[in-house]
Amino acid sequence: MEKVKQKDLILYSGLIILGLAAPYLFSAFKVQLTYLCVLIVLAMTWNLQGGEMGYNTFGNILFYGLGMYLTASIQVGMFFPLAEWTESGGEKTFVHTTSQYFQGIGVGLLVSAIVPAIIAGAIGYAILGLRGHYFAICTLGLGIAAGEIAGGIEIIGAGQGFTTPPFPAEIVDTEARGKFFYFLSFALLVGTFMFVKYIYGSRFRLILNAIRDNEDKAEAMGIQTMKYKIVGWMCSAFFCGLAGGIMGGLIGYIDSTDVAFDGREMGVFMVLMAILGGKGTLWGPVIGATLFHFFKEGLWTLILGWQYVALGVLIVVIVVYFPEGLMGWLREKYPERFGEVIDEKDRKAQVELK
Amino acid sequence: MNKIAKLFVTFISAITLALVSFTSSFAKVEGEYIVLGSAISLTGKYSSNGVHTQNGYNMAVDRINKMGGVEVQGKKYKFEIIYYDDESNPKRAAQLAERLIKQDGVHYMLGPYSSGLTKAIAPVTEKYKIPMVEANGASRSLFTKGYKYLFAVLSPANQYLEVAIDLAVEKNGGKGVKIAQAFEQDAFSQDVRLGILDAAKRTGSEIIIDDKLPKELNDMAATLAKVKAVKPDVLVVSGHTKGALTAIRQISEMKVDVPMLAMTHCDAAKLSKQHGKKSEFALCASQWHKNLSYKDKFFGSGKKYAKDFQKEFGYDPPYQSAESSAALLVFKDAFERANSFDRDAVRDALVDTEMQTFYGNIKFGPGGQNVAKPMILFQVRCKGDDCENRVVAPTKWASDKFYHPIPKWSDRS
Repeated sequence: MEKVKQKDLILYSGLIILGLAAPYLFSAFKVQLTYLCVLIVLAMTWNLQGGEMGYNTFGNILFYGLGMYLTASIQVGMFFPLAEWTESGGEKTFVHTTSQYFQGIGVGLLVSAIVPAIIAGAIGYAILGLRGHYFAICTLGLGIAAGEIAGGIEIIGAGQGFTTPPFPAEIVDTEARGKFFYFLSFALLVGTFMFVKYIYGSRFRLILNAIRDNEDKAEAMGIQTMKYKIVGWMCSAFFCGLAGGIMGGLIGYIDSTDVAFDGREMGVFMVLMAILGGKGTLWGPVIGATLFHFFKEGLWTLILGWQYVALGVLIVVIVVYFPEGLMGWLREKYPERFGEVIDEKDRKAQVELK
Repeated sequence: MNKIAKLFVTFISAITLALVSFTSSFAKVEGEYIVLGSAISLTGKYSSNGVHTQNGYNMAVDRINKMGGVEVQGKKYKFEIIYYDDESNPKRAAQLAERLIKQDGVHYMLGPYSSGLTKAIAPVTEKYKIPMVEANGASRSLFTKGYKYLFAVLSPANQYLEVAIDLAVEKNGGKGVKIAQAFEQDAFSQDVRLGILDAAKRTGSEIIIDDKLPKELNDMAATLAKVKAVKPDVLVVSGHTKGALTAIRQISEMKVDVPMLAMTHCDAAKLSKQHGKKSEFALCASQWHKNLSYKDKFFGSGKKYAKDFQKEFGYDPPYQSAESSAALLVFKDAFERANSFDRDAVRDALVDTEMQTFYGNIKFGPGGQNVAKPMILFQVRCKGDDCENRVVAPTKWASDKFYHPIPKWSDRS
């Protein structure tokens, strides 16, 4: 047992060193690497619902978008009148000083983690009683509704969009912005991973699994399923909000339906990535998101105009050939590597029975 | 579990190696080529206008290269453009701009299509101090952010339909009019709306319907039903190509009678071809029309440009293509005056631009917008079944008189 832990340690420290060195090794790819971190976070948090709890949600995009708007609004609102900043036309120019910028984004990120979590709690209380596809459809509506509502609120730019504060001009190094957002998202990734890993070793995960496998039985066992479902969703919302906040700052421009509440892309991608890697596993979403991102960045531009067709084919291939994802497929092929022992006698007996 | 983790590490390292070997990026100037970069909407909701933009760019690149290219320090260079598809999505556009600059080593950018996407790209080009000449981002807020490397060859969006309101007031004997308006929820259309609000205030006009339309604009029947009920003097609609098509389709289906219909993007939507007589009398704001009398030595006059474009791509050039072509002319001129590939020298040369192209005069204001060119209005007019866009304002170029009011549907054959 001790030995395994030591191996783990080597693996994790290796990955962290790689993560820390990445922006220096591949300086030109910083933005893509930042995206990768955020995508992994989104896939991992989606996996908590879709994979562990068995509640396929399309609503996590709501928290992502919310985090984006909140961070930007607070970053501006702390120092300047928000309404004048976002006013269509925006005749006045406001410039953040370096300390204002970082203070703003710090407070903004804090709020963008807490508020979505609270909202997830409130919405969860209302809709987590729904099960199966009813829940999925209901959450699909959440993201779409949020996008349309945000597109009508003048103070956050409405249809005009919201230009987030530019990186302070006093920092002359053009690489600084990329590094800042990379390390921010990498820290978020590490935090999320540690949190999810902690959950994987806890009773909480077992309860989520029990809800997935048979919610009625879980309830009969005396588990207050509603409470755990809500807490699970709040955890996801917390990290989704943070991811959104970081992305808003990185992209520099928030559009209600195309960037923030982007259910058509991000909302679908997070589900796809988790399923590709294998839902219900710790590493599945990480691998899924990484593969997906490389597929997207590598092939997308080679097949201009056909990329969404390719994506559609990819979805079909995943669902048909890897319904359990890559991790599930590997698990089936090499069960012993996952620590599963097959009782040959029992297997034979079952084959004979058939 | 651990073996899997190892597998994962192996996978990561393989990718790492691949990336490192791939980082051999392009240079800003490669051999005899000056490399420009652009993210263009080839798919998604702006795909038709994205293609108009790309055709405009390509046409100008071919023409300039054929006619000797760009001369810098006594050496001739040719233009080359690296394109990516931004999928009409601002997030993707910002990411691609970063990619063009960091990975492909592009030092000069051409704009994308639409204000929203330009808004997403401008912070990136600004950060890396990359001069960007854009031809399709007209939103006023682009020019008030203090961007130093952004240059737009077109007039700002709020000017698009102000003239139309002035015209309506003039026809109404100088008294204010009743305006019904519906705009798509996007940066450009909302800016056009601001222009109307200003004009309404100035002329004492009243806005009686002020609707917002969704982004994937396929239906505006609710707005039109209201218009039928309250009978405004002017109906203003803006929502890119889809907005123009939807408006004409439903106005003719529902037989909505308004004395004046003002729109944007009629020529990009090929309204007069697609809807023929149904679109007659629609008044359209345009950045350019082929009948204008501007000239340059690469494309000759607007008419000549239209003819060559038609030959090359098989359709009449909308102004989106014309202004995109003009962006290349501006870049060529700036490179030659800077006589250098230094980004800041090129940027300074761009600031001092003062030239005439077939598309119009170009001179950049302090915010980067083109201040030397007025907007024009044209009206769709038909002879038999043959419909055409005729310039009606400003009077200097007007080929036809403005027809007002629009006859009722019951009187139209």
